[in-house]
Amino acid sequence: MRILLVEDDQEAAAYLSKGLRESGNTVDQAVDGNEGLHLALSLAYDVLVVDRMLPGRDGLSLIAMLRVGRIQTPVLVLSALGEVDDRVAGLQAGGDDYLVKPYAFSELLARLEALTRRALPHQDELTLAVADLHMDTQSHEVKRAGRKVHLQPMEFRLLEFLLRKPNRVFTRTMLLEQVWGYHFNPQTNVIDVHISRLRRKIDNGFTPALLHTVRGTGYKLSASP
Amino acid sequence: MRLPELYKTTAFRLALRYLLVYALLLGTALALFALVTNLLVSAKIRDDLKQSLSTIEREFDREGIAGAQLAVKRLLEAEEGGDRFVLLIDAEERIVGGNLLRWPAESGIALDGKLENVWIEANHLPVSVDDDEVYWPVIATALSDGSRLLLSHSVEQVETLNELVELLVEVLGAAILLSVVMSIAIGRAILRRIDVVSDTTAEIMAGDLSRRIEVSSRNDEFDTLACRLNAMLDKIQALVGSMRDVTDNVAHDLRSPLTRLRNHLEITLLEPREVDEYREVIGKAVEDAEALINTFNSLLKIAQVESGNHREEWSHFDLGALVKDLVNIYRPLAEESRRCLYTRGIARYPVFGNRDLLAQALSNLLDNALKYTAADGEVLLALEGFENWIELRVVDNGPGIPASEHERVFERFTRLEGSRNLPGNGLGLSLVKATCQLHKASIELRDADPGLAVIIRFPRPVSKK
Repeated sequence: MRILLVEDDQEAAAYLSKGLRESGNTVDQAVDGNEGLHLALSLAYDVLVVDRMLPGRDGLSLIAMLRVGRIQTPVLVLSALGEVDDRVAGLQAGGDDYLVKPYAFSELLARLEALTRRALPHQDELTLAVADLHMDTQSHEVKRAGRKVHLQPMEFRLLEFLLRKPNRVFTRTMLLEQVWGYHFNPQTNVIDVHISRLRRKIDNGFTPALLHTVRGTGYKLSASP
Repeated sequence: MRLPELYKTTAFRLALRYLLVYALLLGTALALFALVTNLLVSAKIRDDLKQSLSTIEREFDREGIAGAQLAVKRLLEAEEGGDRFVLLIDAEERIVGGNLLRWPAESGIALDGKLENVWIEANHLPVSVDDDEVYWPVIATALSDGSRLLLSHSVEQVETLNELVELLVEVLGAAILLSVVMSIAIGRAILRRIDVVSDTTAEIMAGDLSRRIEVSSRNDEFDTLACRLNAMLDKIQALVGSMRDVTDNVAHDLRSPLTRLRNHLEITLLEPREVDEYREVIGKAVEDAEALINTFNSLLKIAQVESGNHREEWSHFDLGALVKDLVNIYRPLAEESRRCLYTRGIARYPVFGNRDLLAQALSNLLDNALKYTAADGEVLLALEGFENWIELRVVDNGPGIPASEHERVFERFTRLEGSRNLPGNGLGLSLVKATCQLHKASIELRDADPGLAVIIRFPRPVSKK
């Protein structure tokens, strides 16, 4: 991915761009809102990471100017401590996702990937598949290596979501947000239990395993680990 | 209290300003009054003199000196007070009428019937007059038989008038003086009351938050102000106290995990290790940091919910659907850990609120209920509509919470004996309570015998019965 990082905190910008580069991305950096806007208007990026508070021009104004200029590049807004309330404002201003500091780098990475994939045209296929796991979204039939797998409705929704975006890592909060439609932070391993139940049904007795745990981050559905 | 300080008080300055304006107005009015009346009275005296002269002259023309004598006599008798003075002298220089003892200023008075002011001495006068030895208006004329006639009028009326004005000026002066004294007194009294307040606030600013403003028994506006300020100080002290508690708790509860994190990394760095070992330690460090961040975020969220700044994210939604969703999310966890999670009365209950916050609160309650219930235990989630409220009950049959701790468990970082080894940061119920307060819902803990019942009552919109 080609990423534009607009962040005035030098140290944060340094480790973020290091992390993003090592994850296989190209990163351009801007230290204030005007420089960021200039770069975003003149070069093509896959996704923008914009800090909420910036010198020169604040993050929301930057996004607003971009949208006025008909540039629809997805934007992830970063906000400092204690600005949770701005979540709605950030999304209304045209941001596509919102992360509050302190956040986990893996969460940022996962959300950026989700944003860039989301930018692709929506795939509305009737059958979904990863390796020998097949799902018919019409008849709600799931098969692994030709054998029928019986799923509960919730498990079906979770698998459908993962099948639509294979090979991508999702954090627990992202799954809760996108599969169940709730934005909160469970203090226990509720999501892990859903995953392990699903895993038992689709992976037990089959090789290779398809539903992988990414340590410290979340889960992904992939033919290769 | 020095005068410059006193001058700064509003009461004193206002009083002084009004006094100045008042004195100026009254002084001008008095001066005008004196001037006008003086002019009027003198003009009246002059007219009187001229008229009297012509009356006597007329009588003289008609009946000679005897007529003049009679006219003089009548003129003097006509007036009780005796402000008029007349002298009629015949050609032989004998006094033939009038009440003056002799001709004043022998040579100086022109006998032309015109008014002039003449110095009248006491020995000219038949009676002693208050304002003797003054210039009086005088009119004199020579009659055709060689006799002379002189008329004069005392200016006592004018003098009395002037005395009255002088008296008024004195009274005005005294009033001004009195007002200044009173302004000083009022200013001082107000300053004294205000000093009590400012002295106390100075002490509070110096660090003694327990100080309060003295309230007198007068029950006046200053006392009302003092009472209000004291109430505000009570609230501030309570807030500062709870903030201090929170800060202490935060410091205490974050110190141990931070120390653990740091030392673990430090020890790993002591000597070279296998790559896998580094991975292991760093992975653990990331998890520890994650837990710390979680605690911070929970604290921030509680603070934000308590400050009530979440209105933007409010929406209309079905509380029943939310409860159903949460049960669906938690049921696998309950089943895996062999707890029974069942529901009662889940129906459609439209509410207006922050959906994510309420989901978080319910999730915290379910986390707790499942965590503290033994294997094969039961957790009940019930929703019931009453006329004025919607009641949400989360009931478990775990060990429960002793009644004496029912209030304390809502405080941040409270962890009860026996639960310290279970995962958790002691912030879950604080957020639940803050969320309830934000939604104007009441929350109550009850003994479920055995176990704990959490009862939350959401106020029901009147129109949506």
